[in-house]
Amino acid sequence: MISLSQVSKSYAQYEAIRSISLTVNKGEIYGIIGPSGAGKSTLLRLMNVLESPDQGEVVVNGQQLTSLSQAELRKARQSIGMIFQHFNLLGNKTVYANVAVPLELAGYSRNERKARVMECLRFVGLDHAANQYPAQLSGGQKQRVAIARALANHPQVLLCDEPTSSLDSSTTAEVLRVLHKINQALGVTIVIVSHEMEVIKSLCHRVSVISDGELYDTIVNEPTGVTQLEKTPESFVQKLKERGDSHYS
Amino acid sequence: MILIIPDILVQYQSEIIETIGETFVMVGVSVAAAVLIGMPIGTFLYLCSKGNLLQNQLVYSILNVLVNTIRSFPFLLLVVFLIPFTRIIIGTAMGTMAATVPMAIIAIAHYARLVEQSLLDVPRGVMEAAVSMGASIPHIIFKFLYVEARSGLVLGLTTSTVSFISYSTIMGVVGGGGIGDFAIRYGYQQFRTDLMMYVIIIMIILVQLIQYAGTTIARKIDKR
Repeated sequence: MISLSQVSKSYAQYEAIRSISLTVNKGEIYGIIGPSGAGKSTLLRLMNVLESPDQGEVVVNGQQLTSLSQAELRKARQSIGMIFQHFNLLGNKTVYANVAVPLELAGYSRNERKARVMECLRFVGLDHAANQYPAQLSGGQKQRVAIARALANHPQVLLCDEPTSSLDSSTTAEVLRVLHKINQALGVTIVIVSHEMEVIKSLCHRVSVISDGELYDTIVNEPTGVTQLEKTPESFVQKLKERGDSHYS
Repeated sequence: MILIIPDILVQYQSEIIETIGETFVMVGVSVAAAVLIGMPIGTFLYLCSKGNLLQNQLVYSILNVLVNTIRSFPFLLLVVFLIPFTRIIIGTAMGTMAATVPMAIIAIAHYARLVEQSLLDVPRGVMEAAVSMGASIPHIIFKFLYVEARSGLVLGLTTSTVSFISYSTIMGVVGGGGIGDFAIRYGYQQFRTDLMMYVIIIMIILVQLIQYAGTTIARKIDKR
């Protein structure tokens, strides 16, 4: 579905990505992990050519993105969803209007838009918040709106840049469950960049480790699933005790 | 409450109404020029600046110097300097319509700069999201930039409008008239200090109303 072959990217003297090749198969959830500054986010941005590579080829869904005209590239990007660490929603538009934007770009009629926006909001469980503004939502809800927006135009691929890194653990689980559902129910290929091991292990089928702009290794992972996080006082006490035991035993 | 209108204002009622009308024409044309020409130039400045979508050092530098040059003219000198140009456009260099030419030019430069500054406040991430969705430049401008920057754009236009009123007061030098010119000719030059004071009060009220309207609208449309 996505294939990078020997892509490199430098900024001034600094080599952010050094000749990386990798292939993401259709329908899989692919993880990219590494320390901050390793080039994970740059690598993700090469997949929809938000960063254009200095060398190498990027092929997504059979199209070589690196050789498209500006207009063709815009068209191709409409089928590649993307979500971000800081959500990047439009604060001055309602939840409904935010999700409607990609449909306006793709030229849907008003009625088609309405049906599709509500469908996407129901999918992420936020149809009741359609008329609210992002500022009125929690972080997890904002990210779900961003996911609904990314899904609106029926993408084949969803690129996720640190999707849970500004969320706490319970809202992280809420977002990860939605991502899992998108992969299972809609068959969307997902690429997740994260520095959080738990996130990567819970969802990804294969994981690449990136270090200093190079691909260090690629591991096959059995997804552990998104664990339900308990927030009862008993569970907190228990967790604290568990840690204490392991320290002193 | 009964509003007591001082005799002197009643005496000059028709002149005051007429000159306020002239001020409105000059400021109205300036606001229109600011929005219709200044806003696109400010947007273009922003898009051509470093790290933005149409990054172009040459175009940016030229526009930047042009805007700075116009804004660095003492306004009175700009008016005089532009007299030949005004003649070409309007056919005469005197009167209210002629006065709108230098007013419009300073308005364009003034608001273009404020538009550029407002757009710089739009988070980079929002622009990145727009590009990732496959938005074209016009879509990015109208569906992202202006939507997120709208409060700043309104506040900027409010600030500009208040400045335009101030600029309009010296248009008497080319026979532009206006309430400020009235205060100078009748109040100052004919030693009617009380009349001058009343006109100043009228102008203060006018500016307060504009600022109040601008601030209220900007707050109402800001949902961030």
